[in-house]
Amino acid sequence: MIGPVSLLVVVLALALAVWALWFVIRDRAVILRQLWGGAVVEAVLVAQAVAAIVLVANGTGSPDRALFGGYILSQLLILPLAAVWAFEERTRWSSVLFFVAAFTTAFLEYRLLQIWGSL
Amino acid sequence: MTGTEPHVTAGRLAAPASTSSGPGRALVGVYGVFALSASARAGYQIATKFAEAPLAYALSAFSAVVYILATVALAKGGGRWRPVAWSAVLVELVGVLAVGTVSVLAAGDFPAKTVWSAYGQGYGYVPLVLPFLGLAWLWHTRSRSDHHASGTVADQ
Repeated sequence: MIGPVSLLVVVLALALAVWALWFVIRDRAVILRQLWGGAVVEAVLVAQAVAAIVLVANGTGSPDRALFGGYILSQLLILPLAAVWAFEERTRWSSVLFFVAAFTTAFLEYRLLQIWGSL
Repeated sequence: MTGTEPHVTAGRLAAPASTSSGPGRALVGVYGVFALSASARAGYQIATKFAEAPLAYALSAFSAVVYILATVALAKGGGRWRPVAWSAVLVELVGVLAVGTVSVLAAGDFPAKTVWSAYGQGYGYVPLVLPFLGLAWLWHTRSRSDHHASGTVADQ
């Protein structure tokens, strides 16, 4: 895939995870600014998905298409779903949830790179 | 109608606590991640290479259904969904123990991976821990009236 974009996804998602973890420790619920952070990660993910589709269509990359598509789709779904589900809960547990979602997003990027063959 | 219906009890604490708030909110999130990944894995396996290992892939699909049911039932917060949640989490526990054991002892008969293979090793053993958390949470949030108010922990 596109190395710098993948790195950006991992760094941003992990930063979001650390931010959420800090809120867990401080016994705070998810705040709107964190959701904006999630939206930034999501924007990069959408750009990456579009780029990946173009690369596969051009034949630049040749991952197992079904597997790769499944991971791309899962990765795109997790943060928005988690944001909705977390924001209704006004306790520290919403931060736990947001941490899980952000960490999973970063982990899925790692799996995507494996499937692509970069790792 | 029996006395175990949460709606007919008058006391504020008599009704079971919601399974979808507090720690349950995070638990549902983790279940959701597994519902998603198990579904994606099963969908991929069945669509592309079902004939290679039908039993393993059918089990993959089964685990996906169990995770989806557990996620939805826990997210619904209780009521009529509570027995569904109990059943789904119990089946999940039996599933991860059974599939985990068989996949370790008879690896040859189990060529393909499911979420539950080797007790969920590929997923950081979270699939092994998750049903215990689910059961503990369902027990913690259970109704007083379900148990005739004996030994209930209403730690509000």
